Amino acid sequence: MQQRQQEINAKKAKLAELKARRENRANQAAAGRTGSGSHPELVHPTPGRGDKTDIENLINKLVGESRPGSTFGSASPAQRGSRPNSVLSAGELSTKFSDFASQANGQQPAQASPPSQPQVLTTVPLQTVYECPPSPVKEIFSYSKGVQTTDEWTGPSTRPRAISELPDEDDLSGVTSTPNKRLSRRAREREEDLRLKLRKEIEEELKATKELVIDGVLPESSVANANFPARTLTAEELKAVTASDEFLDFVERSTKVIERALDQSYDVLTDYSLQINDVDDVEDQAGNTAGKGRRRVKEVVQFYDERWSKKRMVSSIDFSPKFPELLLASYTKNPSAPHDPDGIVQVWNSHLQDRPEFIFHAQSDILTAKFSPFHPNLIIGGTYSGQVLLWDTRARSAPVQKTPLTGSGHSHPVYSVDIVGTQNANNIISVSTDGALCVWSVDMLSQPQESLTLTSPPPSKFEDVAPTTMAFPQADPTYFLIGTEEGPIYPCHRYDRAGAKAGIDSRVSYKGHAAPVMSVAYHPPRGPVDLGDLVLSASLDWSVKLWKVRAPAATSTIVDATGTSVAPLLDLAREDVVYDAAWSPVRPGVFALVDGAGSMEIWDLSVETEIPVAKISPTARKEGRQLLSKSLNKVAWEPSEGKRVAVGGIDSVVTVFEVGPDLGGKDGVKAEEYTSIKKLVARLEASNAGGVV
Amino acid sequence: MAMADKTLPSVTADSMDDALHRLSRKPGVKGWIMLDRTTGAVVKTNGQISTIRPARSSSTTSLPTPTGGSFSTDVNANTNNETQAAQELGSMVWSFLSTAGTLVQELDTDDELKLLRLRTKKQELVIVPEVKYILVVVHDTPPA
Repeated sequence: MQQRQQEINAKKAKLAELKARRENRANQAAAGRTGSGSHPELVHPTPGRGDKTDIENLINKLVGESRPGSTFGSASPAQRGSRPNSVLSAGELSTKFSDFASQANGQQPAQASPPSQPQVLTTVPLQTVYECPPSPVKEIFSYSKGVQTTDEWTGPSTRPRAISELPDEDDLSGVTSTPNKRLSRRAREREEDLRLKLRKEIEEELKATKELVIDGVLPESSVANANFPARTLTAEELKAVTASDEFLDFVERSTKVIERALDQSYDVLTDYSLQINDVDDVEDQAGNTAGKGRRRVKEVVQFYDERWSKKRMVSSIDFSPKFPELLLASYTKNPSAPHDPDGIVQVWNSHLQDRPEFIFHAQSDILTAKFSPFHPNLIIGGTYSGQVLLWDTRARSAPVQKTPLTGSGHSHPVYSVDIVGTQNANNIISVSTDGALCVWSVDMLSQPQESLTLTSPPPSKFEDVAPTTMAFPQADPTYFLIGTEEGPIYPCHRYDRAGAKAGIDSRVSYKGHAAPVMSVAYHPPRGPVDLGDLVLSASLDWSVKLWKVRAPAATSTIVDATGTSVAPLLDLAREDVVYDAAWSPVRPGVFALVDGAGSMEIWDLSVETEIPVAKISPTARKEGRQLLSKSLNKVAWEPSEGKRVAVGGIDSVVTVFEVGPDLGGKDGVKAEEYTSIKKLVARLEASNAGGVV
Repeated sequence: MAMADKTLPSVTADSMDDALHRLSRKPGVKGWIMLDRTTGAVVKTNGQISTIRPARSSSTTSLPTPTGGSFSTDVNANTNNETQAAQELGSMVWSFLSTAGTLVQELDTDDELKLLRLRTKKQELVIVPEVKYILVVVHDTPPA
């Protein structure tokens, strides 16, 4: 008994101590409220697991020892007083713990009959909740709090916050309200008050932190100032990071963006009111120009990549139909780099001058490539091995589709491909030098949809025909012209039609070139007068010829069924082999040609039919080969505005020129230009007829 | 078709070095830094970062780097200067970026920051924030 008494006394003393601490804590809480926001643990108020085990140990110890003593009912009421402000609450207790509690509960009615017990048990819901027997649990709580506060008080914010979220706190206080009455009312009220305040404060803070998390950026920023840099990465970590694909992609994308940004030569901050003296030399600092005044031709940019362009010839050039700043160039193999892909296509951006926007590969030299006019992401190409390839700018550099090398496809070089049809129904047409013509679906290149073999019409000695180039009129996807290695240009039908079988139309041919025809181009059908029957052809016989072709239906009216040969309207003899000629997309009389001497010539037939209006050569690359390096293979106009023209050739550089307002650009086009071309054609026809008769 | 092995992936470590090398050689480029977006750690750097802050470069102690490598930094003064300058610049860019990011988020929560060009009287900072990394290039601008 004596021992019991001592124990009770000790507990009482402890209780007093606890009270004092509580008050102390209240003060601290009030003081620490301002600084409490800085605690990072706030975001995750999960109590440590270690605490729990501590508590369990404690419970075991306590219950084991003091349970028998609970017959002294007088001891418990005093201790109940500490219950309401218990730091732990139901949520924090594990189920194990509650098991234990109910165990204690079972013990309770048998041994003890404290006066307060019946009062508590009268309410039914209390029995369903596991903390219904307040006395044992409360005892435990008071001790557990003692344990927590015996260590140095770590600050008001950490612990109380843990309670605040728990919803059943109100229930708890409701349960213990009876014993609480015995506690001094003042103390309880103060306690309640404090708790309310704390709770409010914590809720606000929680809300705030939640908002921060939703924002997603702020947490970084708040941490940024606090601890930046997190730490220096070790060599291994750096290696791991820089070797990851993610990082490589990042470098690829971000450097592209930066280079575009730096290549923007225009200074947005230029203040024209300040530097009047600098402006007038713009016209004089010419660079590489030709022509005069409104017919000036000026070199704008050259594209060359040391890694990929080197020692490759430019085999074709095409501007993107969708993005006027993009143009593609296809290249043949680099003989000194056998491990690189033989054929490549580079897509250049006039805002990104040092590197291509995209590179596409092929296993064989690419002889021709062009953007699909119906889908800006797709690029088609033809190779020396006879494959037709399809690349996608959204995919990697390998072709997304390719035609088979064997069986039904081409087995000879494909020098010409095109996409014809409409937005919703278009096909790839390819022709190889053995005369095979294939029609492919863009979705399936494993097998041609149609195939046709072109054979030379009867008068010639051999059946073989070697098409080097192909041209479709804008209006008719079933009829086209081919230029051949032998020299003649033939009209062809894709299908049988009235008076003509599929293949080369034997009734008419356009003979005039004495060497392989390198290009055939229909006049673009824009403007008030239809000049769509005008065709321009370039040949290795040092000439460019202008033809008036017959409409496909009109050929049947010709009296002598076979072998009608049509002579050119106009024969423009040049000073070297002509590799390519292309009509301006906006000016009716303007065309550009490139020759083996490395010059580009701009002609305007509405002005002059004897000499070009401008002649210019691209700036030679410094380290370029001197001998035979100048020849230009291809020329292409930018289709929408017609202001820029790109050329490329043996020295692997793609050069873009800009033409003056009288040679390009939609704005200054006059109807007279069309009528003057029409008159010119009529005059030439008349004189040709006169000459023959 | 057994020829597929001849094609190369478009992005290789080789091409990455090329791209970075070319970037460094671009006229006017003073230097660049790559940062990890989440931690802010410097991943790669190049160029004379210390010259970008002429006032600071002399007195490195004025802004102590908070943690990490600062302990071992006393070993090599010169390269250390650069790393520290890079870290400092990285830290400044990073906090600037998060402020800008906050602005963008405040305007429209669906929006995203894509490019920052910070033009000053003397130079320009071009910052490309990507999902995981950040590239910062400092370059001279034509005297305006």
